[in-house]
Amino acid sequence: MQKEKSWFGKLVENYGLPRMIITLFLLLLLVLCPFVGADLPTQISNIIARFSWNGILVLAMVPMVHSGCGLNFGLPLGIISGLLGATLSIEFGFTGPLSFLAAIAIATPFALIFGTGYGWLLNRIKGGEMMIATYVGFSSVSLMCMMWLILPYHSPNMVWGLSGKGLRTTITLEGYYNQVLANFLKIKIGNFVIPTGSLLFFALLALCIWAFLHTKTGTAMTAVGSNPVFARAAGINVDRIRLLSVIMSTWLAAIGILVYEQGFGFIQLYMAPFYMALPAVSAILIGGATVNKATILNVIIGTILFQGIVTMTPTVMNNIIHTDMSEVIRIIASNGMILYALTRKTEGSK
Amino acid sequence: MKNKRKIIFRIIALALIIAVAACMFVIGRGHTVYFDNKELTGPDGTVYEPWYQIEVLVNGERVARLAEGDRGMVSTMGQDFKFEVKLTKQKGGKMQGGTIGVKLPYSIDGIIYNLPAMLAGAEESVYMEEFIPDPIEEETEDVVVTDEFAMPSEE
Amino acid sequence: MNNTSKNTKILSFLRSSSVPILFIIICAVCIPLSGLSANMLFNEITTRMGRNAFLILSLLIPIMAGMGLNFGMTLGAMAGEIALILVSDWQIVGIPGMVLAMILSVPFSILLGLFCGKILNMAKGREMITSYIISYFINGVYLLVVLYMMGSVIPIKHSTIKLPRGYGIRNTVSLLNMRQKLDNLIPLKLNIPGVGIVKIPVMTFIIIAILCLVIVWFRRTKLGQDMRAVGQDMEVARDAGINVERTRIISIVISTVLAGFGMIIYLQNMGNIATYSSHSQIGMFCIAALLVGGASVDKASIGNVFLGVILFHTMFIVAPKAGAAITGDSMIGEYFRVFVSYAVITIALVMYETQKRKAKSQEGAMLAAAQDEGEEEKDS
Repeated sequence: MQKEKSWFGKLVENYGLPRMIITLFLLLLLVLCPFVGADLPTQISNIIARFSWNGILVLAMVPMVHSGCGLNFGLPLGIISGLLGATLSIEFGFTGPLSFLAAIAIATPFALIFGTGYGWLLNRIKGGEMMIATYVGFSSVSLMCMMWLILPYHSPNMVWGLSGKGLRTTITLEGYYNQVLANFLKIKIGNFVIPTGSLLFFALLALCIWAFLHTKTGTAMTAVGSNPVFARAAGINVDRIRLLSVIMSTWLAAIGILVYEQGFGFIQLYMAPFYMALPAVSAILIGGATVNKATILNVIIGTILFQGIVTMTPTVMNNIIHTDMSEVIRIIASNGMILYALTRKTEGSK
Repeated sequence: MKNKRKIIFRIIALALIIAVAACMFVIGRGHTVYFDNKELTGPDGTVYEPWYQIEVLVNGERVARLAEGDRGMVSTMGQDFKFEVKLTKQKGGKMQGGTIGVKLPYSIDGIIYNLPAMLAGAEESVYMEEFIPDPIEEETEDVVVTDEFAMPSEE
Repeated sequence: MNNTSKNTKILSFLRSSSVPILFIIICAVCIPLSGLSANMLFNEITTRMGRNAFLILSLLIPIMAGMGLNFGMTLGAMAGEIALILVSDWQIVGIPGMVLAMILSVPFSILLGLFCGKILNMAKGREMITSYIISYFINGVYLLVVLYMMGSVIPIKHSTIKLPRGYGIRNTVSLLNMRQKLDNLIPLKLNIPGVGIVKIPVMTFIIIAILCLVIVWFRRTKLGQDMRAVGQDMEVARDAGINVERTRIISIVISTVLAGFGMIIYLQNMGNIATYSSHSQIGMFCIAALLVGGASVDKASIGNVFLGVILFHTMFIVAPKAGAAITGDSMIGEYFRVFVSYAVITIALVMYETQKRKAKSQEGAMLAAAQDEGEEEKDS
């Protein structure tokens, strides 16, 4: 009995209490699912689908955390690069799957430019990254709000029908790259659907990051994150590595939003990117990452747990107590998780 | 010793604040007073005829001019409510006036006074009535917007 | 020598007041473009001064204690809103209603402030991002209380403020019987030559002035001195026998309570509560206004507050109109002012961090020079 308890205690310690609670909560929801009359395969498909939409956005946290830049609250900046790629690809007349490739190709230079500027800025303000990242994200989103109105877009599928200028708040991707990854090798058994292509794409990028982190530059990045003084002494150019990590994060965010859009089916402009940093941040934290340590496994577990709760709570809650409290639960759980991570003592982050 | 004084001082301060709060409960209670210039039949069968016109003034400001069958209203604070009436029996007739003070019941939000009955000196239970608002028509469910980043709505 | 020091002085002045100067330029360009009359502009600014100054003043004390910009002031705003919702359900109106709401908001504010202060003590060095996330977290709790508990657990009588489903509060709660009661308590209309009649919310200004005096007085008290010491250097303060944690918590509690009062003043001027959005933007706008007034993350004065209100809100009023005049689209001006608010905060944060780093590296260089040998010994 005692032995079991200590084993349990160890598990809690390793796994982290908040994550334990969230996991148990999700399991409870899954167990309750059949009892409240919700279709389990559909629910699980939903979770998988949402995982495939969001996975890369969460993955975009990893490089910056590794290099000690903290959680990337500036995710919207990368998202904006992606949005520029998406809208320009449509504007230039690409259609079908080709438009997805074109969007990635166009988004990349933007991500590189924005990422460089962002990284340069973050190198000047070491120690205060997270707060400034947040506000860089906000500023860029609100600046782009003006730009979406002003920039000379003409594609009739994107601009307001009446005035003929200014982009719409949501743009449908029907005929462009809607479900382009999800439909690739899609598996469908009754209500159970696996968007294989999206998962493979995520796996590919995750593998790339994993492999990168094991290269010389990658280990240097980890060294910079865990102990910058030591890294500098070892002859690593700290600023350059940090800059590289920020560019990578920004680029991943750009790709992430494109993948999100192909699953969701719409491009959301204006204030929409505002919402996107906090869920990604809390997802990776729920996955067990800390402010200066994150692995690919954290990304996968975190995204599944977070998206699982986001998709499951409304259905189950609605059926049990006939009120939709999922919004409140999501806000409290995700921000609580961020708070928990911020209040942890972190070693070597000076 | 000093500590004890501090505690006593704090208790007094707290009591004072609570007293102020209690005070506010009494003097700040808002009521809506409705004035009717309508025909009313009392429980004993007396019929109170409406006046041709009644003007109601609160603090020298006219808040209602009631023709036959009209209802006027005023928002007020506290339970002592004083108002002035100017009465006209028939068209072109002479104006009478007077000041009336009433004690509003604390627990009722909206109070209807039937002025003809009141002026005729009827019982309070006859001329006073609680105003019960019509249940608000079931509008399309009020959509609660909880997003943090909506455009600023400062105007 | 003298000349150069004068030059650096001017330079540092220019740097520290670059944001206000930039704003003066923006306003100077936008005002004629907006086509607003001087009368309207003056009236708007006096109104907004009365509406916002108290809230912004609530930010000063945590800055003094070295905790940066208190994004957690939103907590106080929520406490104020909850108090106002209850008071308006109890039908306590006018000034007494406001006083009651203020008294009622204090326990909520203190609780939230204690919570916030405790958490911030656990996250030293990243207070701002933490207080920012706390405001979201507590917003979740606020939703839980207002959207689900009010009407089911907490009795709410009036159907005018309750959602039709029987619990939860409507999107807007009317404060019509409290609207501008404080502003109009002492009515005064000034006739300024060339501008016309300007309505002055005298009583609100008096309360703001009292708060200013209290802040000035507070700085000189033992507690105020302690706070400044903590703000300068926590370790030194601790060595001097100051209870650092307690002092920091107190500063946050005071700020939260004041923000609660400020929110009540703000809402009595607006005349209604946007239950789910009134508080969410308030922190951002107050902080932006304070920074526009020339404050920085570690230094802010009462003067910054008033200059900030005037400049920031002038921009706020004229930007949409000016944007519409230039581009023919009023949305551009709307987005512009949001962008400017965020950009100002970003710039101020960047400036603060770079300066902090510079000071640190200078200090480090001096330390390194002094202890070169000792350091080497330690390293080996």
